[in-house]
Parts: sequence; structure tokens; C-alpha cells
Amino acid sequence: MRIGRSQRFDQARPFVALGIAVAAWFAAPTAFKAAVRASFFEMTAPVAAAASYANDLQRFWALRLHSKDELIEAGRDMARLNASYTLSVQQNGELESEIARLQALLKMPPIEGFHFEHSRVVRRDFSSWWQRMVIRKGSDYGIPVGAPVVYSGGVVGRVAEVHAYTSVVQLTSDPGLRIAAVVDGDTRPISYQGGDNQVFGAPRGIIEFVPLDVYASATVPKRLATSGLGGVYPPGLTIGRITHVESSADGLFKTGEVELDPRISELTEVTVLVRDNPG
Amino acid sequence: MAAPTERSGSLVESKSGYDPRLIAFHGVVALLLAVLGAGLAYQQLIKGSIHHEEERQQNERRVIVPGPRGNIYDRSGRLLVGNRPRFAVVLYLDELRPEFREEFIRVRNNYRRTGEGDIPTSSQLERIAHTSVVKRYMDQVNEFLGRSGEVDSGALQRHLEHQLLLPYTLVDDLKPEEFARLVEHLPVNSPLQVYTSNTRYYPYDGAAAHTLGYVGVNEGADDEEFPGEGLTTLKMKGSIGKDGLEKQFDSTLQGEAGYTILRVDPSGYKVNPPIEHRLPVQGHNITTSLDIDLQKAAEDAIGDQIGAAVAMEVHTGEVLVMASLPGYDLNSFSPRLSFAAAADIEDRKAWTNSALNGVYSPGSTFKIVVSTAALLSGAITPEETPSDCDGYMLVGNRRFGCENGQGHHGSLALPEAITVSCDIYFYTVGLRTSADVIAAQARRFHLDRPTGIELPGETHRMLIPSPAWKRQKRSESWLPGDTANMSIGQGDVQVTPLQMACFAASFARGETWTTPTLIHEANRPGQHTEPIGLSASQRGAILKGMEGCTSDPEGTAKFLTTIEALRVPGVRIAGKTGTAQVVRPTGKADEAWFICFAPLENPEIAVAVAVDGPPGENFGGGRNSTPIASAILKAYFAKRRGAGIAASPTQPAGHS
Repeated sequence: MRIGRSQRFDQARPFVALGIAVAAWFAAPTAFKAAVRASFFEMTAPVAAAASYANDLQRFWALRLHSKDELIEAGRDMARLNASYTLSVQQNGELESEIARLQALLKMPPIEGFHFEHSRVVRRDFSSWWQRMVIRKGSDYGIPVGAPVVYSGGVVGRVAEVHAYTSVVQLTSDPGLRIAAVVDGDTRPISYQGGDNQVFGAPRGIIEFVPLDVYASATVPKRLATSGLGGVYPPGLTIGRITHVESSADGLFKTGEVELDPRISELTEVTVLVRDNPG
Repeated sequence: MAAPTERSGSLVESKSGYDPRLIAFHGVVALLLAVLGAGLAYQQLIKGSIHHEEERQQNERRVIVPGPRGNIYDRSGRLLVGNRPRFAVVLYLDELRPEFREEFIRVRNNYRRTGEGDIPTSSQLERIAHTSVVKRYMDQVNEFLGRSGEVDSGALQRHLEHQLLLPYTLVDDLKPEEFARLVEHLPVNSPLQVYTSNTRYYPYDGAAAHTLGYVGVNEGADDEEFPGEGLTTLKMKGSIGKDGLEKQFDSTLQGEAGYTILRVDPSGYKVNPPIEHRLPVQGHNITTSLDIDLQKAAEDAIGDQIGAAVAMEVHTGEVLVMASLPGYDLNSFSPRLSFAAAADIEDRKAWTNSALNGVYSPGSTFKIVVSTAALLSGAITPEETPSDCDGYMLVGNRRFGCENGQGHHGSLALPEAITVSCDIYFYTVGLRTSADVIAAQARRFHLDRPTGIELPGETHRMLIPSPAWKRQKRSESWLPGDTANMSIGQGDVQVTPLQMACFAASFARGETWTTPTLIHEANRPGQHTEPIGLSASQRGAILKGMEGCTSDPEGTAKFLTTIEALRVPGVRIAGKTGTAQVVRPTGKADEAWFICFAPLENPEIAVAVAVDGPPGENFGGGRNSTPIASAILKAYFAKRRGAGIAASPTQPAGHS
């Protein structure tokens, strides 16, 4: 049976339409495409946020199932922990006033302050190309692009995109993220960059421009921390542990590998550091 | 309508056989096809490889990057010369092609829209677009770093035309904080990146400057050593040793250059990842025999004076100290010496390594040579007193004075004569021994020739005069006065501090020469050369005189004992001072010498110091040179006792 020309066209119509749509997308102005992308993200964000709230609710009810004895025990542990933190806060207060006194003596400019925005993690997006997470706060909480994101174990990453109610955080394991870091006990800045991470692999990073007199190994690792010199992260935040360094062929520096805390792949809550006086 | 005929039914073939014209046409077509086929075969099969090569040369570029130089260490492994990383923020112009194009269109449209009369030509528009795009990146850098750098349009254009594949430097020699800021602020895939190169770094600034030497700009490695012969090659500048050890061991220190072969489009922009790539490799390291603690001690002791000091291991000839002042800060050569710094070095006459190239009259230090010659020739015995010093003596018709201790030494035997450095004694002994014998002995000690140390440009101007030499060079007769002058190390006798250090080391071993070396070997065997041939009593007499020189209250180097600060506790030093009077264009001046070795009973270190006195000032070996030798000896023996003083290096200005 012969197929008529109109019937053949009908069969090809979806492909033609697709071709036209793709061509139109490529021909569209960049601003239009950016706006469509942003709109799509904003539209889908409530879905992810709702899932996140549902997850929180699930956890809440799961916790409600614990016995009173367990709660009393947890409360007691918490009280102890709280007491030790209270003591640390007092000590920190004293140290801060001492630092302020010394800064005044040396006529040093004051260290810029941050305020904390705690936020729940809505979604994680891990691939070989990028390592990101979406958090449940955006421009509604004054979160700016580029703000450092931390947790109790150190640096999580930095804010890469800000939307109305959500933000995208580029993790320290993302190959596109770089930090001016220092090796524990050293003041010379080196470059940290997220590594080529596999989806379910342990998160890793690489370091470059490491001075030749820095040594570290898997058995004697060294802590890698933010230098504070780059202007994005405050100093002293843990990035990871240097487990391997080797001299580069040109003999100028060493390069190395950094093992990141696996918890950054499982975080449910993070803190965004927002500058008090953004320059 | 006419009925079709039998033949009219076939429209395909109306005629049997072949049309000769058609055959001819087919023949022509076949011939042309054959020509085309032959041409294709010729181009593909015979000239294919040539075309391939031409295509390769047109589409590929080779970038050669020099390898960092090797490090230079002192004998204890402390870094004397290394490489300091130099951070720059650079722009990879070859990645900016789309931006250049967009900017070109924008600028052209702006001109058209504003309707200005003279729209620039296409090449001018391109230039404007290039500068405009690069300026945007420069503004970005300025914002990050708080600088106010500007784009040099001419330099940018030259770079685009000739070195498109090489990174274009926007800001050079970044501070660590600037490096850190850029690392955090520049996106990973930005054409704006931090670039590292290296430059020579000298942790001890000007210490041993003349010995270590400096480097200059090298136009790049030899193309022929790399794959990709015939390709257009872009070479990044390297460095080459220009003086000192940097020059002498340039081939060892020179790093192995790396290369990258890239594929480019017809405009020269990189289109793919590198076809071939090899990282540069650092050159080999050198461990010198220098001891930076001793070197610093010597240089600090010389201070603002003009002079040189050499110290070496007696048994191996390894040079521990080679100091020459005035010097210069080697870091001022890195990355390049400014005109002002070069002029300053020139004004201070600091280019010369006086230890190696400064020729001085050895003065009374030469009396050890004269004593040896006299004893070996039998002209004197150690015990006899050949003269009675009352301050002067006549040689021919000329009056020769005793310059040491205002004369009046009376009758002295050899040890005492060396201790007080009595000129009258040595005039007498020299005349008895004869100039030829003294000169022969000096030649045995290799004082008439360069030492052969591993440094470029060692002088050949040292001179041991003799009657034959004077006759040949000046057509003059040798006079007794010449012998008298020679006997106290003056007249035409000329040596370098390095030679005298070798002589001191040789004499300490009882041998005739020492080959100095600046390369340290952990288990270097001791040197053994021709023995001097002195009997034990003869050698003992000279050594007694040399020890007296540093320990006797009448000794010319008595300051080593009498001044607390100069004393080297628990060490017996055999030494000899010297003060030579010279006439310079600026007037009469003294050259103050001191040579020594210690400990006397088992010599380990030999030292020679020569200091130029300013014209008109009373300079002397005892006063002006012994403190320098003392500083070296004190540092040496303090280290031997385990209480080493450590010279502190300065931190590099760069990153590490």
C-alpha cells in the first residue's frame, strides 16, 4: 500500500516541530534563554521545597516515635554539650576582645563580620561535571551570589546562583570551585580546586602551587584550611585533609590530593555566611 | 495523422555503428579524465607527503617553555640559589576570538550608528576591538586587586601578531595576597588565569655574589632538540648563566625545556587540545663547597672595606669561603638588573671578584716562600743570624728600610725574623738565595699560574718576576734592589688571594700546590702533591715563626692574641701578615695581607685575606686583615665544636 505525501508529512510532523523548536531556541537571544531558565527554576523550586518540607515532616514524626527515656538521655547529652559550648563562647568572647585590643594597638582595620543564615538542604545534584546542592533560602533572606557556605565540619562551598526562595551552592568537591587555602601551620597561600569526582565516590579535591617544603601523606595527613586572603572565605575554616603531595616536574611546586569530609554529600542543613557590610 | 513508420518507433538508436565525432569526444573526455587521474595520483601519491607536511606546518604551532634552573646549595645543604615562583595574571588571547569578533561588530555598528565621517578601516577596528576586550579583563583584575593597571595597545597588538598562543601578561609579580584573591575570584574556565613562571632567588642576598654569579635572559632553547621540525615556533625566554658558578655550570643547572604542539586555525587561534605536550624539567642541583656561615662571617668582617678573603680545607682544597667586597645584591638581578642598579655596581667598582681576579703584591706573606727557598738552597740555616737589623740596609746604592716595628730588630734567627717580619733579615736572605732560586720556588708553589678553580675568567695577570723575565719583557737588567724587593713580596710580584690561600693550604700539608675546588663531595680524598722537601727542623723553624706571628707579644699578628674579640680560643694558628705599598692613580696606598692555617698541629683550614687600604691611610696586615681571618676561624671552630652559628636567609619576596 502506498503512503500518500500528506500522510508522510503527518508522520514527520513531530520531528519537524522539534527541529523548528531547537532551531528557534538556538536563534533566541541569550537574555531570553536566561530568563526562561530562571523561570523554569523558579517554577520547579516549590516542588523541590515541598519535597524537602515533607522530608522534614517525616523526620519529625520519626523522632516522635522515640521513647521518653531516649529523649531524656538525649536532652541530658545536649545539656552537657550546651554547657561546653557556652564555656567556649565565653572564651571566644574574651579572645575576640583581646584581638580587638591588639588590632586597636596595631591600628589594624577590623575584620569584616558575617551574619549566619542557616538553611535546610532541598536537593543535591552530584555528577562528574558538577557537585551542587540547592538550599531553601534565596534572595528573600538577602543571600548574595558568592557567599561562603559552611557547616560544623568546615567549608561546604559557595553560593553560585540565587533565586527568589532557593539558592544553588557549588560544593568544595565541584571541579569549578577554587579556594585560596593554607596548609595547617603555614601562611603561604596555595590553590585548592574541586576534583574529578564520581557520583558515589568519596569527595576529593586537588591542590596546586604547594611549596616544596610541605609534606603530607595518607598516614600523616595535614589539614587544609581557608587562608582568608582570597576575600571570599574567612580564615581557618577546614576544607579537607591533604593525603598526598608530589613534586611537579618543573620543580617549582608540589601538587597534591585532598580528602574532603564525606558528610558534605549528606548534609541536611548548612549555614550561609552573609557579609554585614558587603563592599 | 500519419501512421508511424517502422523506423520511427525507435527513438533510442536511429543509426547503426559509431559516430566518429562521438568517439573523438569520448576520447577527449577519457584523456581529460586520465589527466585528472594522473594529476590526482601525482598529488596524492607522489606529493602527498609534501602536502601533508605543508599542511602540518600551516596548521600547527610549537611552543617551547624553558625548564627551571637547578638549585645551588652550600656544603651543608642550605639553599644559596634557588628559584622563586613568579605569579602573574595572564590572558589567553587565543580563547577570546568570539569576544573579539563580537566587539568588532559592536564597534563597527557604533561608528555606523553615530554616522561619524571617517569609519576606521577593518584593521583599525580590529585593533580597537582587541584593546577594548582586553581592557575589560584588565578592569576586572584592577577591581580584584585594587590596582590601576592599563593596557598597552601597541604591546598587545605585537603579542597578537607574533605570540598569539603565548599568554599575555596583564599584571606581573603578584604578591601572595593578590595571588590568593585571584585564585578565589577567577572562574576556573576564564581566559584570565594566574600563571606561574620562575626567577632566580638568592636567600642570602649578596653573600658570595661573585662566586655564585648571576643569570641573564636566554632567548630560548634550541629548536632542533624538539619534535616538530619546521613548525612555527614560539619560545618563552629562559635564563643563562652570565658569571660565577651560574656560568661555569650552566649546562648542568640549565633545565630541560618542555614543549607543546598545538593545532591552530588559519588566523592562528588554537582550535584543539595540544597534539603533543611535555612538561619542562628542572635542571640538576649543585652542592658547592662554600659554607654560608663562614662566608657571611667573612663578609661581615670585611664590612665596608675593599678586599677579599678565601678559606679552604687544607686536605681537600674545597673552598669554604670566597668573599669579595664590594659586592652586590644578587636579588637585584632577578628578574632583570635595572640600569640604576647596574650603574651603582659600576660606580662602586663592585663587578670584580677580587679573590679570583684581584692581583696584589703579597708583601711579607711572600717571606714564607723566600724562607723555603733559602732553606732548601742552603743559603741559610734555621738557627743562623745572617743580619743585624738597625732599621735599614744599603743594597747597591739604594737604602732599604725595615718597615716593621720601626726596625732595630738586631740579630734574628729565622723563626724570630718571621714572627716580627724583619725586612732586613729577608733582604739579606733573599740576596744570598738569589732571585732565580726564589722565583723557582714560587713557581713550585704554582704562584705563577691560575689555580684552575671552576670559575670563569680567572686572571692570568699573576706574576713571579725573575732576571730572565725582566730581560725579556723590559729589556732591562735585574738589579740587587729587585731581589730585595722580591724578598719582601713587593716589586713586580703579583698574586691573587685565591693563590695565597692555596699556598697556605699547600704549606700546611708540606706540599707544593693545591687545586682549589668549589664543588663539595662528602668523601673527597685528600690532595697529595709534590712535597716541599724541607727537613723537620727547617719546617719546624718556619712554623715556629708563623705561630709566633699570631701568639708572640712582638708578632705582627699579635692582635689575634691580645684582643679578646679576635682570639680564637684553644686553637694554635700559624700565620703571616703582609703589608705592600702600592702606587695607584689616586695615590700611595697599602695592601694589607694575612695568610694562616690552623690548628697548627693538624691543619684543617687555610685562610688568605687581602684588603685594599684607602690612599693616604696607614693600613697593615696585622691591624686590618687579621680581624677578617679571625672571624672566619672563629666561625669555623665554633661549628667544629658544635656551637654553630647559622646565617639566616631572607624569605623570597614571592609566594614561597
